[in-house]
Amino acid sequence: MDLTIWYMAITYAAELMLLSIGFTLTYLTAKIPNFAHGTYAGFGIYVSYTLSKFYHVNPYLGLPLAFIIGSGVSIVVYKLVISTLTKMGSGSIVLTIATLAIQIFLGAILNIYSYIFIAFFHQYATAFLLKEDDFHIGDVAGIFFVSLIISVIVVIILHYMLTRTRMGIAMRATAEDTELASVLGININSVQLFSWFLTGGLACLAGAMIPFWFQSSPTTGSGIITSIMAGSLLGGLDSVYGAILGGFIIGMSEIMLTLAGQVLFGNWFGEYRPLIPMFFLIAVLLIEPRGLQGFWENYQRRRSKPIPKEPEKKEEAKK
Amino acid sequence: MYTNIALGILSSMPAAIQGIDRLVVDIAMFFGLLVIVAMALNFQYGNAGIPNMGCAVQVIVGAFTVSGIVLRIMFMVAAAGGLPLDDWNDPFKFIYSNPSNVRLVNGLFASDAVLAMGFLLLSLGIAVLMGALTGYLLALPAIRLRATYLMIVLITVADASQIFGRNITGISGGTLGVWIPNVFAWYPGDIGVVTAVVTLLLGLISFFIFRTMLNSPYGRLMRSLRENEVTLASVGKNVVGIRRNILMFASGITAIAGVMNAFYVQFVNQSDYQRAYWTYWPWLMLILGGPGNNAGTFLGAAIVVALRRLIIIYKFQIQQFFFFPVSYLEDIILGGLLVLVMIFRPSGLIPEKLLYIPGINYAKMVKEEVKVDWRAAPKARETHVEKKEEKK
Repeated sequence: MDLTIWYMAITYAAELMLLSIGFTLTYLTAKIPNFAHGTYAGFGIYVSYTLSKFYHVNPYLGLPLAFIIGSGVSIVVYKLVISTLTKMGSGSIVLTIATLAIQIFLGAILNIYSYIFIAFFHQYATAFLLKEDDFHIGDVAGIFFVSLIISVIVVIILHYMLTRTRMGIAMRATAEDTELASVLGININSVQLFSWFLTGGLACLAGAMIPFWFQSSPTTGSGIITSIMAGSLLGGLDSVYGAILGGFIIGMSEIMLTLAGQVLFGNWFGEYRPLIPMFFLIAVLLIEPRGLQGFWENYQRRRSKPIPKEPEKKEEAKK
Repeated sequence: MYTNIALGILSSMPAAIQGIDRLVVDIAMFFGLLVIVAMALNFQYGNAGIPNMGCAVQVIVGAFTVSGIVLRIMFMVAAAGGLPLDDWNDPFKFIYSNPSNVRLVNGLFASDAVLAMGFLLLSLGIAVLMGALTGYLLALPAIRLRATYLMIVLITVADASQIFGRNITGISGGTLGVWIPNVFAWYPGDIGVVTAVVTLLLGLISFFIFRTMLNSPYGRLMRSLRENEVTLASVGKNVVGIRRNILMFASGITAIAGVMNAFYVQFVNQSDYQRAYWTYWPWLMLILGGPGNNAGTFLGAAIVVALRRLIIIYKFQIQQFFFFPVSYLEDIILGGLLVLVMIFRPSGLIPEKLLYIPGINYAKMVKEEVKVDWRAAPKARETHVEKKEEKK
């Protein structure tokens, strides 16, 4: 039995998981869906491209560089636009439109960057694949192991950070109630800055791993945003653990359901691949808008027996 | 706005057709198309606070109505009228026999103006209904939830409609596209001019519809929905129902833009209805002009459309200065301008004015002494009395 499609699906799912975690982290602290999140991944794609095709360095060495560049872009975006707009008192809708504008702007910058190679170095840069730079263990491509290990490490570090460190606890507090957290002495600005730093870095890291298996272009990043949103929404949009699960499920099902559809109905089904995350997105909103997080909370509520409330003694209260 | 309409009407005069200024007609046409979209957007976002990020869906529904439904009805009527049309019922033959069939139908329309205009009205009617239906369906998953959920759903659905159009050949000819008979074939002069004038007229009609609705009690209801929906729900209004109705109505109007675009280009292909073009540019118009008032929308649409058409028409002259395609320059202008306007002019070029309600004199209301039931706030009464005594 050929397991290649499974390896491919798991690689994609691991990358999507990293992206979904970032999307959820932004939503937690800033309360806006960041539509530019997919485009950060585009920067990662071009870090890998530049290293591999221009400097002829193994693109695996560029993963830390991708993290730094992504977090840099994200911090610039936050400082220049999001922070300014928040200080002006703009609502969440205006901020979301601002992220859309940033997505268009950054997407154009990526396209222009790819045209630098075409115009000045006569090197094709708008659709590429970096499979030949990859190593192999047995029959399996190295990116399968690398993406899986990196995503597991990220999840463990994130779990440690959110539960044990001061910054993580501050982030959770900010997510619960921003004003209350600031009353307790948490610097909201630094928490926000840190979360944008982390999301940008993670997105760019995931993006840097995409061209090892999947054909990439400047628009790959902005095209993947539907899957990211579906993964994050399936996880409940305000739970990092939900996003881990949701991103993985969406990534797996996007490839495996397409394959199943192609086997069952014929090859035409492949064209409808982008509809699968949309289907999940709409199904989640119709069935349980809070996603897996909502299901989990309902399940726990049903398991735990309701504690009967004792009637308050009014006389004592009066005294 | 008035200058643009005047230009459109002027250029439709026989004298102007001789030395035709293509650029003016082109700008007027696209101003007419995009101002309909932007006005509907202003109706939804500027006045009711519904962030409709799916304008492209409603426009594409208008275009698909023409190519998928009205085109077949045209063929049926023409075949019943005795024209020797090729078979069009099969998806393959729908594309294959399309050009020759359209040529025959064009000949019919050239001789029968009433029939042609009837088809224009029919397609507008069906498009409005289909647009409203789309609005209803889009509202189903997320209208009850936070506004950001609605944005997420609407943005993704714009891509879905293009995928359906690309793969179901019967809708709009798949990747090849289909030709549309020219409903203005009876017009002896320049057909682009008459299409532009009709589009501008439709824009004017929808402007008056929107203005009337905004000045009516329903308009005040919409503004209160934008300001505070919790208060609105607490006084017994059905917030979800109002929001859905607004979305449906505006979707219907937006579909008109798709119909007119199809008749202007005389061709429908799904790739012409990208999300970037039909959603983001109208949003830029709205934000640039100032959400919440129609004058701002007109100004924003005029500026943005003129800018874009100039870039597109002088593309080859501009291209010399850049090593990348000019379309990315457009993207940079779009994204950058949107952010800059939001930061430096959050209320747009023309800020929203206070609502004018006939019969209510605001100045008088402000001067009047407001009667307060002091029993509810005894402390406030004490301070009030103290202040009065101090004054004496």
